Amino acid sequence: MKARFYAGAAVIGLCAGMAQADGHQPFAVGEGPLNWDSYNEFAEKYDLSGQTVEITGPWTGDEKAKVDIAFSYFTSATGATVNYSGSDSFEQDIVISARSGSAPNIAVFPQPGLAADMASQGLLTPLAEGTADWVRENYAAGQSWVDLGTYADQNGEDQMFGIFYRVDVKSLVWYSPIAFDELGYDIPETMEELKELTDLMVEDGETPWCIGLGSGAATGWPATDWVEEMMLRTQPPEAYDAWVANEMKFDDPAVVAAIEEFGAFARNDDYVDGGASAVANTDFRDSPAGLFAIPPACYMHRQASFIPAFFPEDVVVGEDVDFFYFPAYESKDLGKPVLGAGTVLAITDPSDAASAFIEWMKTPIAHELWMAQGGFLTAHAGVNTEAYLDDNLKAQGDILLNATTFRFDASDLMPGEIGAGAFWTGMVEYATGADAEEVAKGIQDRWDTIQ
Amino acid sequence: MDNIAGTKSSLSWAVNLSVIFLVVLWLVPTLGLLVSSFRDRDQISASGWWLSPFAVEQNFQASLPAGEARRDGDFFVIEGNLFSGGEGEILRFGGTRSNPTAFAPGETGDLRRDRSLTVEANGDFIYRTPSEISRDPNVYYATATPPDFSLDNYQTILFSNNMDVAFINTLTVTIPATIIPILIAAFAAYALAWMDFAGRGFLIAMVVGLLVVPLQLALVPLLQLHNKVGIGQSFLGIWMAHTGFGLPLAIYLLRNYMVGLPRDIIESAKVDGATDFQVFTKIVLPLSFPALASFAIFQFLWTWNDLLVAKVFLPSNSESWVMTVKIADDLLGSRGGDWGILASAAFISIAVPLIVFFTMQRYLVRGLLAGSVK
Repeated sequence: MKARFYAGAAVIGLCAGMAQADGHQPFAVGEGPLNWDSYNEFAEKYDLSGQTVEITGPWTGDEKAKVDIAFSYFTSATGATVNYSGSDSFEQDIVISARSGSAPNIAVFPQPGLAADMASQGLLTPLAEGTADWVRENYAAGQSWVDLGTYADQNGEDQMFGIFYRVDVKSLVWYSPIAFDELGYDIPETMEELKELTDLMVEDGETPWCIGLGSGAATGWPATDWVEEMMLRTQPPEAYDAWVANEMKFDDPAVVAAIEEFGAFARNDDYVDGGASAVANTDFRDSPAGLFAIPPACYMHRQASFIPAFFPEDVVVGEDVDFFYFPAYESKDLGKPVLGAGTVLAITDPSDAASAFIEWMKTPIAHELWMAQGGFLTAHAGVNTEAYLDDNLKAQGDILLNATTFRFDASDLMPGEIGAGAFWTGMVEYATGADAEEVAKGIQDRWDTIQ
Repeated sequence: MDNIAGTKSSLSWAVNLSVIFLVVLWLVPTLGLLVSSFRDRDQISASGWWLSPFAVEQNFQASLPAGEARRDGDFFVIEGNLFSGGEGEILRFGGTRSNPTAFAPGETGDLRRDRSLTVEANGDFIYRTPSEISRDPNVYYATATPPDFSLDNYQTILFSNNMDVAFINTLTVTIPATIIPILIAAFAAYALAWMDFAGRGFLIAMVVGLLVVPLQLALVPLLQLHNKVGIGQSFLGIWMAHTGFGLPLAIYLLRNYMVGLPRDIIESAKVDGATDFQVFTKIVLPLSFPALASFAIFQFLWTWNDLLVAKVFLPSNSESWVMTVKIADDLLGSRGGDWGILASAAFISIAVPLIVFFTMQRYLVRGLLAGSVK
């Protein structure tokens, strides 16, 4: 019995050892399409041996494994150790640790709104001077990334606190190329065509869309994405910004119209798998499954670039499922707006190594190292897009780099009580039959009470 | 007649039935969790756990190899078997995704553009088309899939990196965090129950008052204090935190129990010249064993299952993860979609508390009753 226990322990030890060996630095310096010049340049400039950078963020599981690999090259370039730890409840953890004085050096915020909150309480350290100019010049749609990383500090002065690393594109519609091919459907180029296609599918006796709003305590957020997409496709970007800042009221006819545009898809029993009543009850993680059912439960699913993580395991993106850009109205002449989200790095406990790490984020290689592992898009215009793991990511990256307008997920920018509260619940009410105007008015009333 | 003590109520069958009903009702979710722990994520989202023991009729897609097409007169033909292993039975088949079960096996199904497809029940198929085949045509078929359970989830958890470290860490947190509060609380409870001093009633009221303070309120100030005195985020810190959070209940429970011990024994010991310390160690402590054990079970379960306090008071690197943090932050997938892992993690992590509970449960009921009823 004892011998077996030791053998078991030995096996565990071996597995652990092997896993670590596998996970270590799969890209040889100087090889592949990665920008190793920027790596060598950085390595020459910085020597941080013996120092440590503590980083916490929202990436866990597989994503943590990829981050660890990407960050390990910072260690090999500079000698500084990087300790990244991910947390499922990052939003709460970072507030507790920053308030109690045990913050990590760098925090990776999934929502700029939370970073802005912490900046206004003096818990963040501004980035080095010139970072804003650098981002403006080197990121695609640079000014919007500068604005998203600039918050008021505790004295009310605007400073650049955050630099974006990893972006999700939301304006994607996922579909099954095989099913489209068999039924002879074409990829719609405009919103008008998309609506025609939707009607055509209904005429053929099929169900066009899978929509699911369920997400535990965050139920409703997928609908906020829909409304934001519709805002960008019916209103100019300035109106979108005014909406985010509540200069345009939530019950403005323009916003109500955008909510009703979403309703045109989600509240039509013929359009949605399971009927309109199923929308609010279906979990967003389960909702794409209809694309892969035989016979298909639906043909299209609008969701961000991260959704393949929830596809069945044997599904190959590009063969069994593909995506197209969620198109804009041809008649409105608003260009090709793209909605997205992203994670932003900010310094919570300053040190030389932390500043150097932010500088590292400016090198193309820091982005390419994760691009090459998949599941990562970047707005850094200096990267070699050949570094993307596959053509699908490259195509998503191109959507991002070719966007005429890029706007950040509005619900992440609004105050938490609205963007992560009233907006979510309001959308669930709307999806279950409430009147759009009343819902919008309810959200605006809530907003008025916190101002 | 029903109310006479010692006779059996004629309605006892109703009591039994409702007890059975309640127990089953209570066990169903656990059973579902147990079944789910043997299934992977795709199976869980495809069908309910109550259907898992049965063979399910499922539709599949297969691509016919265009490279094996041969010419037969005016037609191009592909022949072969849909089951790569040769086992299986086709229930229905079809040529389009939207109607995958259009034809019965043995029939020749007419597809679009003069193509035809025949599939036999054993999987043999013949596909004919008048035009050249440029890419693999898709066919669809229905077949019954046998129930499929695996130990993969358990394997993922037990053999994941650092799981052994996490297990040791959990024990490192749990054992001292159970023993320290019991030691302190036993002393305090004796003093509050049997020693006469000014303000005793007020102190007891304070302890009872502390029972209703949610511990979440204390997280930030306590961690600030730990940072100030130099403990920071460490095992020492989490022991102290758990001790503090557990003490009010421990003192309250133990005091109520000790107060109920017979006054005569304690007074006669004092008459014989025993000091308070001797009374405590020689008489009260041995007599309070059931209460001590029942509180130990409580505190052990609570610290074992704790996620929040561990996340706040322990460093966030993976070397100091306890099992709950390891499961929640590392194994559940980046967006918490791996239900199978969650289910099996639940069963693995309750193993130790179950052992503790069953070895000590006979004290639990006695201890609780003794504390509450004087």
